[in-house]
Amino acid sequence: MGFQSQVEKAKNLLRTRLCNPNFIIKPLSDSPDSNYCKLKFTISSSITEACNNSILLVGPRGSGKIAVLELALNDLLQEYPDTISLIRLNGLLHSDENCAFKEIAKQLCLEHHLLFSKMGKQRLLYSLLDAMNTVTSQAVVIGVSCRLDVDQLLEKRIRSRFSHRKLLFLPPSKEDVQRLLEHVFSLPTDSSFPHDYAAQFNGKLQNLLADDRFKEIISSYLDLNSTINHLVRFLFIVVSLWESKSGFLSLENFKSALSSIQRQPKQECIKDCSILELYILVCMKRLEVKEQNSYNFNSVMKEYRSVHDSFQTSDYYAWDVCLRSFERLIQRELICFTDNRAHGQSVEFRPVKLLVSYVELQGGLKSYRSCPIILQKLMDH
Amino acid sequence: MADTPRKPLRSPSKKPKQTSSSSISLTPQTPQAVDPPRRSSRRLSLKLDQITTPQKPISQLEKPNKDSLVEELETPHKLVKDSSRTRRNSRKNESTKNPESKTDYESANTPKSRTKVVEVEVSFSPASPDQLETKKRKRREDKDRKVITRAMASKNAKSEQKSNKKRVYYKKVVYDGGEFEVGDDVYVKRREDASSDDDLPEVEECRVCFKAGKAVMVECDDCLGGFHLKCLKPPLKEVPEGDWICGFCKARKLGMEVELPTPAKGKRRARTLREKLLSSDLWAAHIESTWKEMDGSYWFKGRWYMIPEETTAGRQPHNLRRELYRTNDFADIEMESIIRHCFVLNPKEYAKASNAGDDVFLCEYEYDIHWHTFKRLAEIDNEEEDGEDADSDEDWISSKDAESGTDEDIEYENENVKNLCARTSSAHGLAANSRKGQFFGLQKIGTKRIPEHVRCHKKTELEKAKATLLLAILPKSLPCRNKEMEEITAFIKGAICDDQCLGRCLYVHGVPGTGKTMSVLAVMRNLRYEVDAGSIQPYCFVEVNGLKLASPENIYRVIYEALSGNRVSWKKALHLLNERFSNGKKVARGDDRPCILLIDELDLLVTRNQSVLYNILDWPTKPHSKLIVIGIANTMDLPEKLLPRISSRMGIQRLCFGPYNYQQLQEIISSRLKGIDAFEKQAIEFASRKVAAISGDARRALEICRRAAEIADYCLKKSSSNLDSTPAGKGLVGMSEVEAAIQEMFQAPHIQVMKNCSKLSKIFLTAMVYELYKTGMSDTTFEKLAITVSCLCTSNGEAFPGWDTLLKVGCMLGESRIILCEPGARHRLQKLQLNFPSDDVAFALKGNKDLPWLAKYL
Repeated sequence: MGFQSQVEKAKNLLRTRLCNPNFIIKPLSDSPDSNYCKLKFTISSSITEACNNSILLVGPRGSGKIAVLELALNDLLQEYPDTISLIRLNGLLHSDENCAFKEIAKQLCLEHHLLFSKMGKQRLLYSLLDAMNTVTSQAVVIGVSCRLDVDQLLEKRIRSRFSHRKLLFLPPSKEDVQRLLEHVFSLPTDSSFPHDYAAQFNGKLQNLLADDRFKEIISSYLDLNSTINHLVRFLFIVVSLWESKSGFLSLENFKSALSSIQRQPKQECIKDCSILELYILVCMKRLEVKEQNSYNFNSVMKEYRSVHDSFQTSDYYAWDVCLRSFERLIQRELICFTDNRAHGQSVEFRPVKLLVSYVELQGGLKSYRSCPIILQKLMDH
Repeated sequence: MADTPRKPLRSPSKKPKQTSSSSISLTPQTPQAVDPPRRSSRRLSLKLDQITTPQKPISQLEKPNKDSLVEELETPHKLVKDSSRTRRNSRKNESTKNPESKTDYESANTPKSRTKVVEVEVSFSPASPDQLETKKRKRREDKDRKVITRAMASKNAKSEQKSNKKRVYYKKVVYDGGEFEVGDDVYVKRREDASSDDDLPEVEECRVCFKAGKAVMVECDDCLGGFHLKCLKPPLKEVPEGDWICGFCKARKLGMEVELPTPAKGKRRARTLREKLLSSDLWAAHIESTWKEMDGSYWFKGRWYMIPEETTAGRQPHNLRRELYRTNDFADIEMESIIRHCFVLNPKEYAKASNAGDDVFLCEYEYDIHWHTFKRLAEIDNEEEDGEDADSDEDWISSKDAESGTDEDIEYENENVKNLCARTSSAHGLAANSRKGQFFGLQKIGTKRIPEHVRCHKKTELEKAKATLLLAILPKSLPCRNKEMEEITAFIKGAICDDQCLGRCLYVHGVPGTGKTMSVLAVMRNLRYEVDAGSIQPYCFVEVNGLKLASPENIYRVIYEALSGNRVSWKKALHLLNERFSNGKKVARGDDRPCILLIDELDLLVTRNQSVLYNILDWPTKPHSKLIVIGIANTMDLPEKLLPRISSRMGIQRLCFGPYNYQQLQEIISSRLKGIDAFEKQAIEFASRKVAAISGDARRALEICRRAAEIADYCLKKSSSNLDSTPAGKGLVGMSEVEAAIQEMFQAPHIQVMKNCSKLSKIFLTAMVYELYKTGMSDTTFEKLAITVSCLCTSNGEAFPGWDTLLKVGCMLGESRIILCEPGARHRLQKLQLNFPSDDVAFALKGNKDLPWLAKYL
């Protein structure tokens, strides 16, 4: 087995791991304080003790709610293979009550667990929870949502019937992140890889993990959003940037991944504009500074003409050319109409607004390669 | 064949009974009776229609009684020619020809033959048809009385149930040659005085020629009589499509006097089981579970079917001839009293049933024997299992105990049963059981399987506490609502006990979780006993929940369906209900009894023109409506919000359920936890004080205690599994657990989320608060905020992340509703607003170690 193929194999392994939420969640779920343990205990005790429960999983998007739930449910399905039947509802898919009831009927067996994301309509929940308050049915309703105020959204009668178990999903701590990185990146030292390669790889990884520059990269990335999903997405980019020529993960991979993910699309969008489009943007900015709160294409054109008259620029274009670049700016969402009604009124009369801030516009002009100096001047005054 | 000798299995408990009762009749066995009498032999011989089996006398299978013997006497000896019935008829022949030998024979086989001898003697007196008629009528009265005894018997079922715990449950039992599975429907013998011992022809006879034969018969859709195609006038070539009504029924409908062809002299028409069932000489039951008792006798739990005539409404015009009602009445029945299978199908299956034997019935509704209301089966089975157990006296724990006797290996084996202990005794007065009629309450055995290890391990105190705190458990006593319940009782009694029964209306209001519905239902339960005891005239009770109706108008449909078991459109239902309540037109038999209508979540019925509420509340004011409406809702001023003509009808009598105070909550919880040592006293008080201060919702208080018990249980189990040591401490639920449960339930999680969110989110939130202080405006735009953030960053040595990153952070905070924001596409125009008080943000972020400078701006 050549060196290259070993590296390829290692890459594949890492990619497989990163795409498997169960693998990611596992190392974070072993302590008794973890949500996984609590959730599993609650569900399994409601199965064994034949009681009804309703649980709410709340946490920011990407904090691993569904992954933990799936892990717990998989375990429980194996533990009690023929007692549990699972019904999955999704608030986005089954937004209509009748549709949700039909779906339940389709998936229903004697006992059932319900899992639905996003709180749907209230009548459905009322019937569900009311039915759960009778002896004859046994169910666990699990609600998943990223809104922290879900239980406030429930109607008072429903809230009264809800059993108010809440599990909060929080971002992992720094130690957890470190543990997770090690868990994801270290190669197995069994027979699947040559022993010396795996040992070397893991050794370099340990060095990397201890490196302060590395820690800084990770923490500056997590400053933005510290959820697990977010981190995993970053690690996937890292693995993709890892070239087969070098056999080991390097700090450079992480650096370039960080710079590739921290981009400012609005500002970069300005770089792609034509000179005329820049003129239009600057004119709009000048109008806004003049405290003209409402303006349309015609008033922008008036400003453009006056700028041209006073500074005698070389870039003066005809009205219809300007209109076309104006429309392109709207398509790129650098500017937008302020009214939502689009009936019949032609483009030039509808009021518009700038969608880039002055700071971003200025930054964009500065980094623009052949920006006319006059434009920068116009920006300032 | 079936006559292969089987070893008689005599149950030990039966023996003494047998010997004692047969002490007089120890006559020598007749040589003919080689085999022990068994039904299987008959069943097989019945099937072997064409083969003439040796006509050896076999004892009667079921007890003959006076009625049946009278009928038997009528049955002429000619029946012998009918090949399908050779054996039994021959026996009958013999017995009538030679009574002495029969008695001998009987006495040899049946222990209770003393009574039999008497009966046989009686049966020799000539019987006139008139006499038969009177007997029949008597029987019906009997029956009515029995319904009551059935219900009463179920009350003392619990104590008996505990005594026989060693039961072995089976899924399928082969009993006397018939296979009976859980879920099958069977004919069941009525008590002995019914004519269940008549012939049991499997083949129906033609109404004209009184022969069965192989020729094709057509069934009249009206009288269900069978006719040979060739016997009809004019004869038909083939079975017609669609409905067909025989000439007799047609003529009868036209008002003519019809004389049905009578059988040749001396030959009486044999009645099929179906006919007997529909004339209530037999019962039908649905097998819910089957088991073997300790003494080896086989039993099954049957759910009775009722024919329309047996309901209070009587047979109604919309009832089909073959329609049955499933009841919520259960009984334990000995296998011995099963006659054979019948097939009760739902309408869909019934429509498809092409093989249409004679034992096919249609069942669409369940009939509530206590409240005399109907419920569609499809609703019960398909949607959530509705709480029809609500009026069961058994509570959940005891029914679980009953199940705990089930064999560990639930691989239901087919067991061939060789059963002899066979005879139904004529001693008792209830159903066809040979024991004292054992009736059991409404249980749902078999609705679910509880994993084995639950049954094995003994419940800890904490687990018991958790189970008893479940909202689903109906507590044995309902503390703290005595006054209200008395008021409701007085209201209902006052309305019903007058002879004319004036319609009235009661409005019950109170915040959720204060026991409104529970109290009303408890009152109804108590009143039911009084009805059973006869101190109150019977009434029907209909319960509707506004939130479970698809639209407010559907309430008419639901009410009408519950009262009559018929499904019509809501407009038609409104019309029919108007007829009944407003115009005083009583159609069916039970229509003149008072009706109590309980409408839960009444506010959901408010439509734009409020016509639904008006109609419903208008009925009680009509002179002969006999309707009592109890409306339940949360808001105290619902009547005032409605049109004056409605509030004048509804708002007169009101009952308020105030929120529970902490003593009451404490009493509720402690009454449930009586006898279970799991909670510290202060813990309960703490929980109830907390809930009383917030909402006074009993459900919430119970949930907190249950959650606290759960937390304690969790800690206990984790610590014991981790350290592999015996759990330390008593495992009492203390203040800390209750505190944790309250935290989880009442505290919004936003502070914790803010404490743990990413660095940029914290800066973002700080900037929001700073902006709020600076401008005094609650909402700001993203542009202003981004400038603030960049100021904060530059003055504190943080790198400004860039506008687009910041926008993303803001949108993420918006997703979890920590802030409220417009969609991110609005970019710098996006409006932002804190969703929580700024003090919360300050509290969460002040002590932050990574960003100590945040405190400056908070």
